[in-house]
Amino acid sequence: MPPRGLLLDQTLAVAQRLLVEQWRQRRGLIFWAVFPAAMMLLFGLVYAHNDSMRAGLDAAAAGILMGAALFFSCLGGTVAIIAAERERRTLRRLLASPLHPAAYFLGVVLAQLLLAVVQVVMLYSIAWLIGARYHGSLWLGGLILLLSVFAYVGMGFFLGARFARRSEEVVVALSAIGVPLLVLGGTFFPLEIMPRTMQAVAQLNPMLHMNQAFKGVAAYSLGIAELRFELAFLLVFCGLSLALGVRSYRHLLLSEQRP
Amino acid sequence: MTAALTIEGLQKRFAGRQVLDGFSLQVKRGEVMGLLGPNGCGKSTVLNIVCQLLQADTGQVQLMGQPMAQLGAGARARIGLCAQDCALYPDLLPQENLHFFGRLHGLPATQRQARVDELMESFGLGPHASTRVGRLSGGWQQRLHLAVALMHRPELLILDEPTAAVDVAARLELWRLIEGLRDSGTTILMTSHQLAEAERLCNRVALMQSGRVAALGTVPELLARVPGQAVAKLQSRDNAATIRRAQSHGWVVLQRAGQLSCLLPRHFSLREVVEALDGPEVSAVSVQAVTLEDAYLELVGDGGAIE
Repeated sequence: MPPRGLLLDQTLAVAQRLLVEQWRQRRGLIFWAVFPAAMMLLFGLVYAHNDSMRAGLDAAAAGILMGAALFFSCLGGTVAIIAAERERRTLRRLLASPLHPAAYFLGVVLAQLLLAVVQVVMLYSIAWLIGARYHGSLWLGGLILLLSVFAYVGMGFFLGARFARRSEEVVVALSAIGVPLLVLGGTFFPLEIMPRTMQAVAQLNPMLHMNQAFKGVAAYSLGIAELRFELAFLLVFCGLSLALGVRSYRHLLLSEQRP
Repeated sequence: MTAALTIEGLQKRFAGRQVLDGFSLQVKRGEVMGLLGPNGCGKSTVLNIVCQLLQADTGQVQLMGQPMAQLGAGARARIGLCAQDCALYPDLLPQENLHFFGRLHGLPATQRQARVDELMESFGLGPHASTRVGRLSGGWQQRLHLAVALMHRPELLILDEPTAAVDVAARLELWRLIEGLRDSGTTILMTSHQLAEAERLCNRVALMQSGRVAALGTVPELLARVPGQAVAKLQSRDNAATIRRAQSHGWVVLQRAGQLSCLLPRHFSLREVVEALDGPEVSAVSVQAVTLEDAYLELVGDGGAIE
């Protein structure tokens, strides 16, 4: 393990680099902004138009943030970062440098977290105009956001390291593995209407707990006590994510060793 | 003095194939060691093991007298890698790339800024400071790539075919930069397919074959192992007749890829060679001093000598 100061500096260096790259590739950034904004606008207008659905508008905003915005930016973005490092051959250079795997992982988390905060502000601004409101504790919402970004990045590392050798494979990895998780995460259907077995499997899916926790705090003003199970699951999954991220980074080293 | 790098008895198998078979080599401090050999002979595997990108099945590597296994990840901070592919971030500026890798190595901000300024100047990158790396030409990118490898002042610089992907002008410029590093005492281990490059840049050359060192020495030492002082390259309409005539003078005749060459015992003039081979079938003759290419083919490859 490198000294704590070096670990922090490496983390900040990775995050800064990713954000500068994002800023310079403005087209990609615009699409990431347009997608959740469009989703919020479309879903929001449908919910607001129907009196019977209006009550669900607050929960819909939370679901769009977790299931659409963060899914694509944090999970898809992380898979894309790994694939790009491979394609540009910078991965070999990183692996040959003293960069600690945890610093790389945390750097990606930090960059994605800052982008996620921008998405939250943007998405909730649109939601507010349509009539949706955020009801719960901002601190608790922030904590769930942090845990969710952590979990998404961990999954992104795993998918990127194992299934996305080229940038064309990012969409394949995301749609083949990420989208089923999205469905099981209760983004499209509520958990209650799923068959019992599916419900049991869904309980292992971190996306379900992200959705439920954030909906709970944002739409129903639930507190830590009511969300303790979801929060505990996400906390444990964050620890697993870090381990998964470090392990995936080492897996990348193995995959780069092939002659 | 302790060697900069000592490699002993490396063995490595990939998918049932023995890539390294007892590879051993010592690189002295301040020397440029060239690693030459045909594709698949294990050059890149050696570099990957030295850079800790790969683990050997058996064998030992020591950096500045300390076993790599003991140094662990700390060894990476003491080695600079410049591979054939430009591993840079295309959306960043040249100095941003340098800063990024400097931070990974833990250089403090003021020291890092001074080093970036120094490298930008010495590599002539100043005029491109506001150009994103992706918009630089291949030669400039490779130059920056080399500068990034030097950012943390490594004790050992690894160059993996550093000029393979650049044009002639950029290659000459990179050679000049590497010569400057050599003259300033940087220890370099480099691979190359270009024998002229090794001849110009390397203090010593290790010729590899089948995963081990087949011949090792300075360029003059390796040239001395070729049974001849000069080479006459011939084009003939009747190879058999030309070979007979050359052999009648006691010259060693080689045939490689359809080209006839005669190893001459001393430096003959072109006129002397033409007169010796006097015959209508010879259509072109050139005479040159023995090069590393001849030594390479003689010592590593099938020399192609015709009995």
